[in-house]
Amino acid sequence: MTPIRPVDVSSLLGSEGVARPRPSESGGGFAATLSDAIDQARASEQASVQAAKGFAAGDPAVGIHEVVISAEEANISLRYATTLKNKVLDAYRELMSTQV
Amino acid sequence: MDFFTSMEVSASGLSVERTRMTVAASNLANASTTRAVGGGAYQRKDVVVQSVPVPGGPAGVNGVAVTALRADTLPPRLEHDPTHPDADADGNVAYPNINPVEEMVDMITASRAYEAGITAMSSAVSMAERALGIGR
Repeated sequence: MTPIRPVDVSSLLGSEGVARPRPSESGGGFAATLSDAIDQARASEQASVQAAKGFAAGDPAVGIHEVVISAEEANISLRYATTLKNKVLDAYRELMSTQV
Repeated sequence: MDFFTSMEVSASGLSVERTRMTVAASNLANASTTRAVGGGAYQRKDVVVQSVPVPGGPAGVNGVAVTALRADTLPPRLEHDPTHPDADADGNVAYPNINPVEEMVDMITASRAYEAGITAMSSAVSMAERALGIGR
Protein backbone atom coordinates (compact mmCIF):
# COMPACT_ATOMS: atom_id res chain seq x y z
CA MET A 1 0.00 0.00 0.00
CA THR A 2 1.44 3.41 -0.94
CA PRO A 3 1.19 6.11 1.70
CA ILE A 4 -0.86 9.16 0.82
CA ARG A 5 1.47 12.10 0.25
CA PRO A 6 0.51 15.37 1.92
CA VAL A 7 -0.48 18.12 -0.50
CA ASP A 8 2.25 20.74 -0.76
CA VAL A 9 0.28 23.96 -1.04
CA SER A 10 3.33 26.14 -1.72
CA SER A 11 4.14 24.17 -4.89
CA LEU A 12 0.58 24.67 -6.10
CA LEU A 13 0.82 28.38 -5.51
CA GLY A 14 4.05 28.70 -7.51
CA SER A 15 6.81 31.20 -6.94
CA GLU A 16 4.56 34.23 -7.31
CA GLY A 17 1.82 32.91 -5.03
CA VAL A 18 -1.69 33.16 -6.40
CA ALA A 19 -3.15 33.81 -2.98
CA ARG A 20 -1.52 37.21 -2.70
CA PRO A 21 -3.33 40.11 -4.39
CA ARG A 22 -1.76 41.18 -7.65
CA PRO A 23 -0.88 44.87 -7.78
CA SER A 24 -2.62 46.63 -10.60
CA GLU A 25 -0.47 47.33 -13.67
CA SER A 26 -1.69 50.88 -14.11
CA GLY A 27 -0.33 52.26 -10.87
CA GLY A 28 -2.83 51.19 -8.22
CA GLY A 29 -5.78 53.01 -6.83
CA PHE A 30 -9.40 52.16 -7.05
CA ALA A 31 -9.88 53.63 -10.53
CA ALA A 32 -7.18 51.30 -11.88
CA THR A 33 -8.77 48.25 -10.23
CA LEU A 34 -12.17 49.16 -11.62
CA SER A 35 -10.65 49.81 -15.03
CA ASP A 36 -8.94 46.40 -14.97
CA ALA A 37 -12.23 44.74 -14.03
CA ILE A 38 -14.06 46.51 -16.85
CA ASP A 39 -11.31 45.54 -19.32
CA GLN A 40 -11.59 41.92 -18.24
CA ALA A 41 -15.37 42.01 -18.52
CA ARG A 42 -15.06 43.43 -22.03
CA ALA A 43 -12.46 40.84 -23.06
CA SER A 44 -14.48 37.91 -21.77
CA GLU A 45 -17.66 39.30 -23.37
CA GLN A 46 -15.83 39.46 -26.70
CA ALA A 47 -14.52 35.92 -26.21
CA SER A 48 -18.09 34.81 -25.51
CA VAL A 49 -19.34 36.46 -28.70
CA GLN A 50 -16.51 34.83 -30.68
CA ALA A 51 -17.39 31.40 -29.28
CA ALA A 52 -21.08 31.88 -30.09
CA LYS A 53 -20.17 33.00 -33.63
CA GLY A 54 -17.87 30.02 -34.09
CA PHE A 55 -20.55 27.62 -32.90
CA ALA A 56 -23.19 29.19 -35.15
CA ALA A 57 -20.81 28.97 -38.11
CA GLY A 58 -20.30 25.26 -37.47
CA ASP A 59 -16.68 25.41 -36.29
CA PRO A 60 -15.98 21.82 -35.14
CA ALA A 61 -13.51 23.04 -32.49
CA VAL A 62 -16.25 24.97 -30.65
CA GLY A 63 -18.62 22.79 -28.65
CA ILE A 64 -21.79 23.71 -26.83
CA HIS A 65 -20.01 23.73 -23.50
CA GLU A 66 -17.37 26.19 -24.75
CA VAL A 67 -20.13 28.65 -25.71
CA VAL A 68 -21.95 28.28 -22.39
CA ILE A 69 -18.73 28.44 -20.34
CA SER A 70 -17.48 31.58 -22.06
CA ALA A 71 -20.91 33.16 -21.55
CA GLU A 72 -20.72 32.25 -17.86
CA GLU A 73 -17.21 33.72 -17.62
CA ALA A 74 -18.46 36.92 -19.21
CA ASN A 75 -21.37 36.97 -16.77
CA ILE A 76 -19.06 36.58 -13.75
CA SER A 77 -16.62 39.22 -15.06
CA LEU A 78 -19.43 41.68 -15.63
CA ARG A 79 -20.87 41.06 -12.19
CA TYR A 80 -17.40 41.50 -10.67
CA ALA A 81 -17.05 44.88 -12.38
CA THR A 82 -20.59 45.85 -11.34
CA THR A 83 -19.92 44.82 -7.73
CA LEU A 84 -16.76 46.94 -7.64
CA LYS A 85 -18.66 49.89 -9.10
CA ASN A 86 -21.42 49.51 -6.52
CA LYS A 87 -18.90 49.35 -3.68
CA VAL A 88 -17.16 52.59 -4.69
CA LEU A 89 -20.50 54.35 -5.22
CA ASP A 90 -21.62 53.25 -1.76
CA ALA A 91 -18.40 54.57 -0.27
CA TYR A 92 -18.78 57.85 -2.19
CA ARG A 93 -22.37 58.33 -0.98
CA GLU A 94 -21.31 57.51 2.55
CA LEU A 95 -18.66 60.24 2.41
CA MET A 96 -20.92 62.77 0.72
CA SER A 97 -23.54 62.36 3.39
CA THR A 98 -21.04 63.26 6.10
CA GLN A 99 -22.40 66.05 8.33
CA VAL A 100 -20.06 69.04 8.61
CA MET B 1 -9.27 35.42 -12.06
CA ASP B 2 -8.50 32.15 -10.38
CA PHE B 3 -12.05 30.83 -10.65
CA PHE B 4 -11.62 31.05 -14.40
CA THR B 5 -8.57 28.78 -14.18
CA SER B 6 -10.60 26.00 -12.62
CA MET B 7 -13.34 26.62 -15.19
CA GLU B 8 -10.79 26.31 -17.99
CA VAL B 9 -9.44 23.07 -16.56
CA SER B 10 -12.98 21.67 -16.39
CA ALA B 11 -13.68 22.91 -19.90
CA SER B 12 -10.64 21.08 -21.29
CA GLY B 13 -11.87 17.91 -19.60
CA LEU B 14 -15.30 18.37 -21.14
CA SER B 15 -13.72 18.71 -24.60
CA VAL B 16 -11.78 15.48 -24.09
CA GLU B 17 -14.90 13.60 -23.02
CA ARG B 18 -16.78 14.97 -26.01
CA THR B 19 -14.01 13.63 -28.27
CA ARG B 20 -14.13 10.29 -26.45
CA MET B 21 -17.88 10.11 -27.11
CA THR B 22 -17.33 10.95 -30.79
CA VAL B 23 -14.70 8.22 -31.09
CA ALA B 24 -16.98 5.64 -29.42
CA ALA B 25 -19.77 6.63 -31.81
CA SER B 26 -17.37 6.26 -34.73
CA ASN B 27 -16.33 2.80 -33.51
CA LEU B 28 -19.95 1.68 -33.16
CA ALA B 29 -20.97 3.12 -36.51
CA ASN B 30 -18.07 1.36 -38.23
CA ALA B 31 -18.55 -1.98 -36.47
CA SER B 32 -19.02 -3.74 -39.81
CA THR B 33 -16.96 -1.51 -42.10
CA THR B 34 -14.81 -3.57 -44.47
CA ARG B 35 -13.54 -0.59 -46.47
CA ALA B 36 -12.02 1.91 -44.05
CA VAL B 37 -10.25 5.06 -45.17
CA GLY B 38 -6.84 3.76 -46.27
CA GLY B 39 -8.17 0.32 -47.11
CA GLY B 40 -8.90 -2.82 -45.17
CA ALA B 41 -11.23 -3.36 -42.23
CA TYR B 42 -11.88 -0.42 -39.92
CA GLN B 43 -9.60 -0.41 -36.89
CA ARG B 44 -11.04 0.49 -33.51
CA LYS B 45 -9.85 3.94 -32.35
CA ASP B 46 -9.00 5.12 -28.87
CA VAL B 47 -8.11 8.60 -27.62
CA VAL B 48 -4.66 9.43 -26.24
CA VAL B 49 -4.95 12.14 -23.59
CA GLN B 50 -2.17 14.45 -22.47
CA SER B 51 -1.85 17.06 -19.71
CA VAL B 52 -1.44 20.63 -20.92
CA PRO B 53 -0.57 23.63 -18.75
CA VAL B 54 -3.30 26.22 -18.27
CA PRO B 55 -2.25 29.74 -19.33
CA GLY B 56 -2.24 32.03 -16.30
CA GLY B 57 -2.87 29.17 -13.91
CA PRO B 58 -0.71 28.16 -10.95
CA ALA B 59 2.24 25.88 -11.67
CA GLY B 60 1.37 22.20 -11.45
CA VAL B 61 -2.28 22.65 -12.40
CA ASN B 62 -2.94 21.15 -15.81
CA GLY B 63 -5.78 20.85 -18.22
CA VAL B 64 -6.10 17.97 -20.64
CA ALA B 65 -6.15 17.64 -24.40
CA VAL B 66 -6.51 14.80 -26.89
CA THR B 67 -3.14 14.47 -28.62
CA ALA B 68 -3.86 11.60 -30.97
CA LEU B 69 -6.25 8.85 -31.89
CA ARG B 70 -4.66 5.45 -31.38
CA ALA B 71 -5.70 2.67 -33.71
CA ASP B 72 -6.30 -0.63 -31.98
CA THR B 73 -4.00 -3.38 -33.27
CA LEU B 74 -6.38 -6.27 -32.59
CA PRO B 75 -6.54 -8.63 -35.57
CA PRO B 76 -9.76 -8.35 -37.60
CA ARG B 77 -12.60 -10.81 -37.13
CA LEU B 78 -12.72 -13.20 -40.10
CA GLU B 79 -16.04 -14.42 -41.47
CA HIS B 80 -16.40 -16.86 -44.30
CA ASP B 81 -18.50 -15.27 -47.05
CA PRO B 82 -17.12 -15.91 -50.56
CA THR B 83 -19.84 -13.80 -52.21
CA HIS B 84 -18.74 -10.63 -50.38
CA PRO B 85 -16.87 -8.22 -52.71
CA ASP B 86 -14.16 -7.73 -50.05
CA ALA B 87 -13.53 -11.44 -49.49
CA ASP B 88 -9.92 -12.58 -49.78
CA ALA B 89 -8.66 -15.53 -51.86
CA ASP B 90 -9.90 -18.01 -49.22
CA GLY B 91 -13.37 -16.44 -49.18
CA ASN B 92 -12.87 -14.81 -45.76
CA VAL B 93 -14.04 -11.26 -45.05
CA ALA B 94 -12.13 -9.21 -42.46
CA TYR B 95 -14.53 -7.34 -40.18
CA PRO B 96 -13.41 -4.81 -37.51
CA ASN B 97 -12.90 -6.39 -34.11
CA ILE B 98 -15.31 -4.09 -32.30
CA ASN B 99 -17.13 -5.17 -29.18
CA PRO B 100 -20.33 -3.12 -28.76
CA VAL B 101 -20.31 -3.75 -24.99
CA GLU B 102 -16.84 -2.19 -24.72
CA GLU B 103 -18.02 0.84 -26.68
CA MET B 104 -21.08 1.17 -24.45
CA VAL B 105 -18.83 1.14 -21.38
CA ASP B 106 -16.64 3.82 -23.01
CA MET B 107 -19.70 5.94 -23.71
CA ILE B 108 -21.03 5.60 -20.17
CA THR B 109 -17.57 6.49 -18.81
CA ALA B 110 -17.36 9.54 -21.06
CA SER B 111 -20.88 10.58 -20.12
CA ARG B 112 -20.22 10.28 -16.37
CA ALA B 113 -16.86 12.07 -16.68
CA TYR B 114 -18.63 14.87 -18.57
CA GLU B 115 -21.16 15.15 -15.75
CA ALA B 116 -18.35 15.23 -13.20
CA GLY B 117 -16.64 18.03 -15.13
CA ILE B 118 -19.86 20.02 -15.25
CA THR B 119 -20.36 19.50 -11.52
CA ALA B 120 -16.82 20.75 -10.80
CA MET B 121 -17.44 23.77 -12.99
CA SER B 122 -20.80 24.51 -11.37
CA SER B 123 -19.08 24.45 -7.99
CA ALA B 124 -16.47 26.94 -9.22
CA VAL B 125 -19.22 29.18 -10.61
CA SER B 126 -21.22 29.07 -7.39
CA MET B 127 -18.05 29.80 -5.38
CA ALA B 128 -17.44 32.85 -7.57
CA GLU B 129 -21.05 33.95 -7.12
CA ARG B 130 -20.84 33.50 -3.36
CA ALA B 131 -17.60 35.52 -3.38
CA LEU B 132 -19.32 38.32 -5.29
CA GLY B 133 -22.08 38.31 -2.69
CA ILE B 134 -19.73 38.95 0.26
CA GLY B 135 -21.01 41.84 2.34
CA ARG B 136 -24.40 41.97 0.68
